[in-house]
Amino acid sequence: MIRDRRRDAVFLLPGLAWLVVFFAVPLAIIFVVSLGTRDQFGGVILDHLGLQNYHRALEPDFVPTVANSLRYATLTTVFSIAIAYPIAYWISRYGGRRKNLLLILVMLPFWTSWVIRTYAWMIILRDNGVVNGILGALGLTDGPIQLLNTDFSVVLGMTYGFLPFAILPLYVSIDRLDPSLVAAARDLYASGRAAFWHVTLPLTMPGVIAAALLTFIPAIGDFVTPDLLGGAQTTTIAKVIQTLFLSSKDWAFGSALAFLLIVATIVGTVGTLRILRREVIG
Amino acid sequence: MSDHDRVPDPAGTLARRLAEERLTRRCFLGRMAVAGAGGAMMPLLAACGGGATASPVAAPATGTPGPGTPAAPSPSAEPTPAPTPEGELYVYNYTAYIGEETIPSFEQKYGVKVTYDPFDTYETMTAKIATKNSGYDVTFATSVDIPGFVARGLIQPLDLSLIPNVANLAPEWQDPAYDPGNRYSMPYMWWTTGFAYDTARITEDLTSWAALWDARWKGKIAMLDDYRETFAVALIRLGYSVNTRSDAELDEALALLQQQAPLLRLYAADEIAILSNGDVWLSHAWGSDVYQVVAERPTVKYVLPQEGGIRGSDTMVLLAGAKHPVAATLFINHMLDAQVSAANTNYIGYMGPNLAAREFIDPAILDDPTLNPDKAALDRLQELQDLGLDLEKYQKRFLKLKAGA
Repeated sequence: MIRDRRRDAVFLLPGLAWLVVFFAVPLAIIFVVSLGTRDQFGGVILDHLGLQNYHRALEPDFVPTVANSLRYATLTTVFSIAIAYPIAYWISRYGGRRKNLLLILVMLPFWTSWVIRTYAWMIILRDNGVVNGILGALGLTDGPIQLLNTDFSVVLGMTYGFLPFAILPLYVSIDRLDPSLVAAARDLYASGRAAFWHVTLPLTMPGVIAAALLTFIPAIGDFVTPDLLGGAQTTTIAKVIQTLFLSSKDWAFGSALAFLLIVATIVGTVGTLRILRREVIG
Repeated sequence: MSDHDRVPDPAGTLARRLAEERLTRRCFLGRMAVAGAGGAMMPLLAACGGGATASPVAAPATGTPGPGTPAAPSPSAEPTPAPTPEGELYVYNYTAYIGEETIPSFEQKYGVKVTYDPFDTYETMTAKIATKNSGYDVTFATSVDIPGFVARGLIQPLDLSLIPNVANLAPEWQDPAYDPGNRYSMPYMWWTTGFAYDTARITEDLTSWAALWDARWKGKIAMLDDYRETFAVALIRLGYSVNTRSDAELDEALALLQQQAPLLRLYAADEIAILSNGDVWLSHAWGSDVYQVVAERPTVKYVLPQEGGIRGSDTMVLLAGAKHPVAATLFINHMLDAQVSAANTNYIGYMGPNLAAREFIDPAILDDPTLNPDKAALDRLQELQDLGLDLEKYQKRFLKLKAGA
């Protein structure tokens, strides 16, 4: 028994090593840097470590930015799941022999660089772009509507980008659901809607939670989409961190913000999972 | 500024098109690379505008060197006695920021094999040379950075006896404030910052920075995503120095920019694209960039505002630890040759302080007030100085501005 457990632990090693080398160590470095100060040329001085960057990070200056980030990430998560659920459901129930092909199609966009795909959205959404061209040609609008550099374009870009991350876990949990349970519900006079709300959805909730985490977490850290599709009114905390590292050359303060964001994400994720496990999964 | 009407000139147009293609490619490559790395803002600006820079009083833009001007006796002076360059040279420059024939002609003249590497962003370059072991001999630094590079020991003094072509420069550029006596750097090209607008959309004549605060163009205005340049606009409007270190003045500037923020469509990394495709009608812009916009959207006009704007320049420097210092210094001399300098300008569309080169520069560029502003216009411009750690005062407020606080 003990030997078995030891052997099992061996299988954990690669993952553990990965976690230490690529997560714990970098996180520790970020934390140390966040206690330092900057020099004139963008270097980091670690002579006098202190919490001054954290004091600055908690100033009210960054509240609107953090609120914006949370809003975008929440909207992206809600839209992603709302769109992904029917797609995953359809592939699982009606995909038949083509299930694998359909899943490959879901992942197909990953074969092109995300930056290139985001640039494509810029061409589609801009004032003289594809959408405004069609609307204008159909006589539906008088002049171009501003779609690019708005909340809409940022949420659209992120939803588009993270949709596959929502579809895949949802597909797995829907596909695992025993259809006879739904059939049993119908036999017991549940309407289609009632069977969905009381049987299908609760049983696929683990997939919904996984999908929510896999879209919310990258969405809150995404700076490429707000950078390329956003505008003056759409700054996010991830973009602020990016600015601090690249143009302000203030790695110490950037690290403090990044560290707070990572900690908040971990705490939020673990907390949410706890609550959900208690409420939903039981 | 006068308008952009020009007599059609097929040869000039061709030259412009070529230059535009080069410039566009230079900017595009830089931007794509940066976007790939995460869409950095400052490097984009630096890659295409050259970044914030200090420069001395700019040379008179009009007029060729007459007999009275202290230009070189010969526009292509050779160092005497002839030095022996090393067999190789490593040059590190912005993508396509040099004439097509410049490198081959240098190789031919001195029998030196040149390895010419482009960098996509200014940040990449500064990071690489900071190691003092980059393997490059010559690179192109914005003049504002020269004092800092000297202090950090990143660049070394030039052997001025090998650079007789310094005499081709306008006299003010032979003793610039950022590098007295050109000990460490030689000026290459310069630019200006003002704003540009589409005359097809905005029919009135705009001459003041106040236009960028005009609520009638709400949602059609962009500012550059560059803390020095953007704060400079507010400081100029308030009548303060663009190099102020005063917290009170900077707070006023921040308040002014916060008034403007709701009217803006974006803080632009790429003002060329958004002006060209019509997403904005009015944008804070670099003159040399507008040169490219006009090729796609001829109704766009560049303005050096009546209140003044910004000017700056790039320089050539010899890196610390360069293994081929003689070849590098001869290369810098070669770049200052009147004909070589003119060929560079004709190819990339940027003007430089090389007086002797003017007679060889495409008249279409010389006559373009966007690329070659006259003395009166240049005199209204201020230069951005290196403020050392006080830059943080700008960076903090810019972050605040963009965070919407």
